[in-house]
Amino acid sequence: MKIKDYIVKGLIALAAAGIAALMLLMALHILTESFPAFAQEGLDMFRTDTQWRPVSDKPQFGLLPAMAGTLYISFAAVLLALLLGVGCAFFLNFYVPDKLAKILLAFIDLVAGIPSVIFGFIGLTVLVKWLAVHMHMAAGQCVLAACIVLGIMLLPFVVSTCCESIQNAREHYELAGYALGFSKEMLIVKVIFPAIRPGIVAAAMMAFGRGLGETMAVMMVVGNSPIYPAMMGRGQTIAALTALEMGSIEYGSTHLSVLYAANAVLLVILVLVMICGRILRRMEKDE
Amino acid sequence: MKKKVLAAVLALAMALSMAAGCSSNQGNETEEKTEEKTEESSGSKSQILFNGSSTLAPVITAIATTFNETYGTWNEYNSELPEEDIAIYVSAGGSGQGTKAVIDGTTNFGMVAREVKDEEKEAIKDEKEYKVGIDALTLAVNPENPVTKVMDDLSTEQIIGLFSGEYATWKDLESSLPEEEVVVITRDINGGAHEVFQKNIMGDKEVKADAIQAASMGELVQNIIDNPYAIGYASFGVANQNKGKVIPLKVNGVEATAENILDGSYIIQRPLLLVGTGEPTAQQQAFLDVILGDEGQKTVEEMGFIPVK
Repeated sequence: MKIKDYIVKGLIALAAAGIAALMLLMALHILTESFPAFAQEGLDMFRTDTQWRPVSDKPQFGLLPAMAGTLYISFAAVLLALLLGVGCAFFLNFYVPDKLAKILLAFIDLVAGIPSVIFGFIGLTVLVKWLAVHMHMAAGQCVLAACIVLGIMLLPFVVSTCCESIQNAREHYELAGYALGFSKEMLIVKVIFPAIRPGIVAAAMMAFGRGLGETMAVMMVVGNSPIYPAMMGRGQTIAALTALEMGSIEYGSTHLSVLYAANAVLLVILVLVMICGRILRRMEKDE
Repeated sequence: MKKKVLAAVLALAMALSMAAGCSSNQGNETEEKTEEKTEESSGSKSQILFNGSSTLAPVITAIATTFNETYGTWNEYNSELPEEDIAIYVSAGGSGQGTKAVIDGTTNFGMVAREVKDEEKEAIKDEKEYKVGIDALTLAVNPENPVTKVMDDLSTEQIIGLFSGEYATWKDLESSLPEEEVVVITRDINGGAHEVFQKNIMGDKEVKADAIQAASMGELVQNIIDNPYAIGYASFGVANQNKGKVIPLKVNGVEATAENILDGSYIIQRPLLLVGTGEPTAQQQAFLDVILGDEGQKTVEEMGFIPVK
């Protein structure tokens, strides 16, 4: 019995170590590949007056517009997903019969499995067109379109995480709440909502991390112009930039290395977001 | 306990598949490398290596695949050739890499989607060029764009004005046109298509920063179809597939037709070349004949380029 336990323990540890090692290897690869960029371009990549002109006679590799675009689009998309998602989770839990709610939830989870190119395609042919016609824009490709498409893609993460939190909170507080004479709405606003705040923060962080890396759908609707993002203007994200330019890049060039550097930055942002999420959750729990 | 064992087995399976995934990738890479090396040292005559332009690579790959499927061994194609398997390898990495590989002797033919530079010609011993086809770009606009009613021709200066952002609205191009933003659509700016446009039209001027970059030619044309005030460079083949949905404009008075492209009067074009060194071997000559023959040239046309014949 004991030997078996050791074997089981060892195997599990091995798998865990393997995954951690894989992550480290990938991060290390990105960092080593981006080293030439940092050595040659250095902080010029992060100056506000450097543009993104990778193949010009005097190449400039300004990453700030794409970095700003990445953060801006992910942040706005998460906000949108939270507004809709949290409301949706409450509605499914409190106002829809359990059986129907389960079916609806299954459909919402299904959204997470749809390939992102499909979202991008619908965004391009429907949303972008609609924006161009109804908002009197010269071209429908804009940051807003990317936020909406990305927001919808992030919805399932928010809804399912919030649903779990709400179910937990209900088990704890629902009967007590009703016994105190709370109406359903009072219960939701005064008891359940405060109780699931850590869950919402966790959902937001997860969605944000997922949004930072979304490539295809964003690339198809955002316009891919390397300028600072504005809601109704065009923009660029790091992931889309990489996907767009990686294919035809000269191997071993500074340009390739700069793209690696951009993704190293993206990785750092992701780690920071995760750490912030942890800290926020801990603060919530301590309260 | 059973559950634990199951969990352990699953974990092991996961770990193994992951390890296998990593190692097999590395394995592939080294395999490819050794393949190239043995080819280099043995210089087997039955293998032909192509390296270079990612524009030309799919064309050569398509022709090679058909050739291989039709004949299988060289003697099936021509009985004077040895009974050996046909093996044609195509790898893409840009025109520059193509010429470099020929100079280094790591490939038989470099695929180059531009003119060969003088210093490259000097570096390659007994340089031989074979023109496979021509890639041309048309300046396409939406049929509803009012510009199509007042002019069907743009000069180089006007194109530069539109693409650099000097003309912010169509009114700046022609005073009778509406004051609508010129929506410029390009391919990714480090790609081959943009290089042709940059070299032949823009010169040292840059395309404006808020131009929309499309990830493929199809997407670029779709953008023009959807937007009445858009202008972009669609490849000759894709523009022809979407006849009526996009309108190609003349450039400096010359229409983008196969004849004008072939005689060089239409300027937004680049040659698709194969660069070799010395006299080709019998097998190489045989495959070159196929590429430059009717069947190969038909593939060139199907891929959206202008065949040389």
